Amino acid sequence: MKLQHYLGGLEGLDPIPLDTRVFAEAWEERIFGIHTAMMALSPQLNLETTPSTFNSEWTWADLRKGAESMHPFDYFKFRYYEKWLGGISAYFVAKGYITQVELDARTETFLMSPPVMPKGGDAAVDTRVRTYLLIGDDPKRERSTQPRFAIGDAVCVADPKSVDHTRLPGHLRNKPGIIDGVYPDAYVYLCDTGPDGIGKAMPVYSVKFDPETLWPGNTEQNFTFYADLFEAYLEPAIAP
Amino acid sequence: MQRFEYPNDRETVNAARVRALEALLIERGVITGDTVDKIMAIFATEMGPFNGAKLIAKAWVDPSFMKLVAEDTMAAVEQMNFVTKGAGAEGEHMRAAINTPEVHNLIICTLCSCYPWPILGLPPYWYKDPSFRARAAREPRKVLSEFGLDIAPEKEIRTWDSSAQIRWFVVPERPAGTDSFSEEQLAALVTPESMMGVAIVKPPGA
Repeated sequence: MKLQHYLGGLEGLDPIPLDTRVFAEAWEERIFGIHTAMMALSPQLNLETTPSTFNSEWTWADLRKGAESMHPFDYFKFRYYEKWLGGISAYFVAKGYITQVELDARTETFLMSPPVMPKGGDAAVDTRVRTYLLIGDDPKRERSTQPRFAIGDAVCVADPKSVDHTRLPGHLRNKPGIIDGVYPDAYVYLCDTGPDGIGKAMPVYSVKFDPETLWPGNTEQNFTFYADLFEAYLEPAIAP
Repeated sequence: MQRFEYPNDRETVNAARVRALEALLIERGVITGDTVDKIMAIFATEMGPFNGAKLIAKAWVDPSFMKLVAEDTMAAVEQMNFVTKGAGAEGEHMRAAINTPEVHNLIICTLCSCYPWPILGLPPYWYKDPSFRARAAREPRKVLSEFGLDIAPEKEIRTWDSSAQIRWFVVPERPAGTDSFSEEQLAALVTPESMMGVAIVKPPGA
């Protein structure tokens, strides 16, 4: 069990930090931009090839795996984009694009005097990044099988083996819900999560939960919780 | 409240490290010297909450468009003249939750920070913070009151957790006293927070 998968409903936390800025520190936009460029240049996308030397896959799933593998205290200790900076730096080192020694050395240099940034590069790289942002990476596929569930069906959320990455919120495991919507067609996920069950195209449902069943006696009144769930995460409800 | 200890140079080191990483990636030909700035320019001018505000203003003045937003959100988005048309990264499949006098909607992502980029841009810091993601799932009324929004007990709250490939946004209620407003004037009243459900749209001067 990973705390990162079980954030929903966690008690004892502080008031919400009401910071409406996207980036809490100015430097954070640089790592956001690097991540977005990596997604756009990732070779599995069906986009025009460019002279970029980026030739290894990078998706949200890779970023999320990093955050989900952290020590839970560190997950709370580091701000959102600090986690990105750590995960993405480690990825470029692990894949051999850069070495830790040169990253540390350049960091030292930039701490001593204002950063001198290299210029130039092939404009086709930036054109591809823009194209990715404008058209995205559509996860929808044609359905090969009929959805297992229909609106109104009672379901129970599955409890698959905990792996390095999931799209199943922990607070919903083993909980009863009602199918509230069946999305058209089927949806792939960015990677195969193995025994967790998602990856290949499958129906996605909007599932309605009574918060009283999620946190008995410890939630609010006149409140309904909805989650979008892949079909692999749902089982038929067992008759009472 | 600070619960962890951090070095005094936390942010200067972060800032130097991210620029060092970017510089090395430019030198190695992974990205160009313009890549990050160009991405940020797209979010500043083409993919941002200004798009969502226009869509909501149109829905307020055109009941048939409001119906389309509710029933086939992507078809409605496609009618808007956004640069992403009916697509865009993190907005390939968007859905709208419509606020009414009986129902108040709130979007969250308990696992990460899923957000409809083409029409809302990038999420504010609090949306990505674990405190919001954890607490809004179980005690939305209390959380909303911290944002200064008190929802009457008789009004139902619906929280939408974006855990699959759908990205949600909220269509807030049109404020009173705006009957004579143009779409442009209405759009100027719509805040990102109101399209996430942590605020309502207030009439001008309120």
